Amino acid sequence: MDNKNIPVKPAKKTRGDMLHERMVLLGEIKEEKKFDRKKFLLTALIILAVAVAAILVLQYRLNIIDYYESIVYAEDAGAIETATTGEAAPLSTVSEATAGEAVSAGGVSKPQDYDFGPFYRAGKLALIVFAAGFAFYAIIRLIAPKRRKPNRSVWGDFGIYFMLLCVAIMMVFPLVFSVGASLKPLDELFRFPPTVFPRQPTMDNFSDLFVTLSQSFVPFSRYLVNTVFLTFIGTFGHVFIASMAAFVLAKYDFPGGKTFFSIVVTALMFSGYVTGIPNYVIMSKLRMIDTYWAIILPAFAAPIGLFLMKQFMEGLPTSLIEAAHLDGAGEMRIFWSIVMPNVKPAWLTIIIFSVQSLWNTNASTVIYSEAKKTLVYALQQIQAGGIARTGQAAAVTVIVMLVPITIFILSQSRILETMASSGLKD
Amino acid sequence: MKSFVKSYVDMKRESFKYNLAKAKRMKICYLFLLPYAVLFTTFFILPICTSIYYSFTQYNILEKPEFIGFQNYINLVLQDEVFLTSVKNTLVIAVITGPVGYIMSFLFAWFINELPKWIRAIAVVVFYAPSIAGNVFFIFSIIFRGDVYGYLNSFLVEFGLVDTPILWLTDPNYMLTVIIIVILWMSMGTGFLSFVAGLQGVDRAMYEAGYVDGIKNRWQELWFITLPSMKPMLLFGAVMSITSAFNVCDVPRALAGYPSTDYAARTIVTHLFDYGFSRFEMGYASAIATVLFLVMILCNKAIQSMLRKVGS
Repeated sequence: MDNKNIPVKPAKKTRGDMLHERMVLLGEIKEEKKFDRKKFLLTALIILAVAVAAILVLQYRLNIIDYYESIVYAEDAGAIETATTGEAAPLSTVSEATAGEAVSAGGVSKPQDYDFGPFYRAGKLALIVFAAGFAFYAIIRLIAPKRRKPNRSVWGDFGIYFMLLCVAIMMVFPLVFSVGASLKPLDELFRFPPTVFPRQPTMDNFSDLFVTLSQSFVPFSRYLVNTVFLTFIGTFGHVFIASMAAFVLAKYDFPGGKTFFSIVVTALMFSGYVTGIPNYVIMSKLRMIDTYWAIILPAFAAPIGLFLMKQFMEGLPTSLIEAAHLDGAGEMRIFWSIVMPNVKPAWLTIIIFSVQSLWNTNASTVIYSEAKKTLVYALQQIQAGGIARTGQAAAVTVIVMLVPITIFILSQSRILETMASSGLKD
Repeated sequence: MKSFVKSYVDMKRESFKYNLAKAKRMKICYLFLLPYAVLFTTFFILPICTSIYYSFTQYNILEKPEFIGFQNYINLVLQDEVFLTSVKNTLVIAVITGPVGYIMSFLFAWFINELPKWIRAIAVVVFYAPSIAGNVFFIFSIIFRGDVYGYLNSFLVEFGLVDTPILWLTDPNYMLTVIIIVILWMSMGTGFLSFVAGLQGVDRAMYEAGYVDGIKNRWQELWFITLPSMKPMLLFGAVMSITSAFNVCDVPRALAGYPSTDYAARTIVTHLFDYGFSRFEMGYASAIATVLFLVMILCNKAIQSMLRKVGS
């Protein structure tokens, strides 16, 4: 009998749920309506279908209006023509036929909503904008994270993602445009108005490019070998040397280390142009002008690699190194067989940054002999060939662009893992 | 007073001795640092020092440098009108592209942070690609071409917004705007990646705690939770965006020509390039470089002290 008064043990709730309920009770947050995916999808599809149907109807009316407008224009033109030539009779059978048709069609069954043309057009545009926006909203709603954060408004999401989409299109447009241009035949490259996508895509530009390269004074393969050699040696040395320095800077506290690192961070700011002149003088004193060393040695010491490596190595547990010390391992051994295998993402990242910068060097200030020049330099020479080489220049742009972007796409997750530790502490 | 100085000197001497002893004990560290330090000093520190030295001389590579004191700097400010134009242009470009590019990188990194993983991966590539795509910015010379075959002009003429095509890249009124747009297009570089990665690393428990403490919308969350935990990345991003905002050279040279009409697109670095590699007045060019160093370092200090106040 007393059992009724004993409260039933409630279903197990997590603390978060209880907190949520309390906040709803206190009126601090609004209770969210449960989001029903199926229902939402259905409604969205119906609304979109209605919008598309409306657009099609409007388009149909507009087609009729356009047809009448064209006839009226033709009629007007015909009238002017007859007036100027001063002949009463129609000139040719064609104009006679159109004029006759215009008279019959325009005179007899001119639609009443002829004047509403602009409204229809505006309506169609508004509907298209609405349909596109709504479709976008529906997509966001459907792919959005299932457990939404409670302090996010849907309209805020919508606005942000819409802006993101617009900016993304603007960012991609030049890249798409350059890929499109490289696939266009010559007559389309100079078409007015210019198009983004080729109507008759060809690979002619690329094959022309290889023909040009094969006729060059120094064989094309030489440029390629040069660049590959430089990139390989430069990157390898850079990873090794920078990791060694980063290891001691990150894991040992020795006098001068902090100062050195802060100088490196400052050096991140200076581009090659600013130090270009004294660098040239120094290299000429060291007799390095017109040798590969002039490119490779500065690449060894690139500040960005040391910086990223050091920041990443700071995340390694110091106890690991201390344990190795106790086991009697020397510094070199610790570095090579304990630290290096554990910072794989970091060295992949600095390999990629180094490859990117070395691949793109044209080094025209320090290398003079044609046989030692890099691939990018040769390609830029072709690009500078003027109007006649427009197609090939577009192909060159695409080739130069594709290498770093492909490398980045393939290694994105590793790079982001490293960049997570890239922050600068005070 | 004397005793103060003495004790100070003693202290310094003691700490120096201590450091020296420490350094001797940690010889191996210096050995590890040595290869990098030598190369770095030769190709990054030494050039800056020699650049400062040459800026006080007249030097044309063939003859020995001749010391002339501050003459280069005086000429720079008092006689070289083009330099003043270039400073103005550089500042305009830096003041606009630096902060805008920086804020844009952060905002977009933040916006894409909550997207599903595969969309985020695509978005990162889309935003980052322009900055690594080599010299793709050449394509802008077709988009902004001065005749009606240029993309923008043909669009404007087609829609009747202008009667005659605009000379985007030869008219001094438009040149700088075009260059700023192109640089903004390329501005999501390493800093952007750092932001994307940093945002992924912010502790989720902080957001939940913030939710309990009554953070109402995403902007409050941004200011009170996200930004303070992103401070190191923000500092790094600032360094990177200062670099890209001041070292503007390739874009104006490729788009607006070299030299450009009325020097309207001349920046400090193109000016330096002109004197260094076309006229071989190395002393003068070094003076320009020194001025640029100073401006960039000051800018960096100012921004770092500003960023320390974020979220407090």
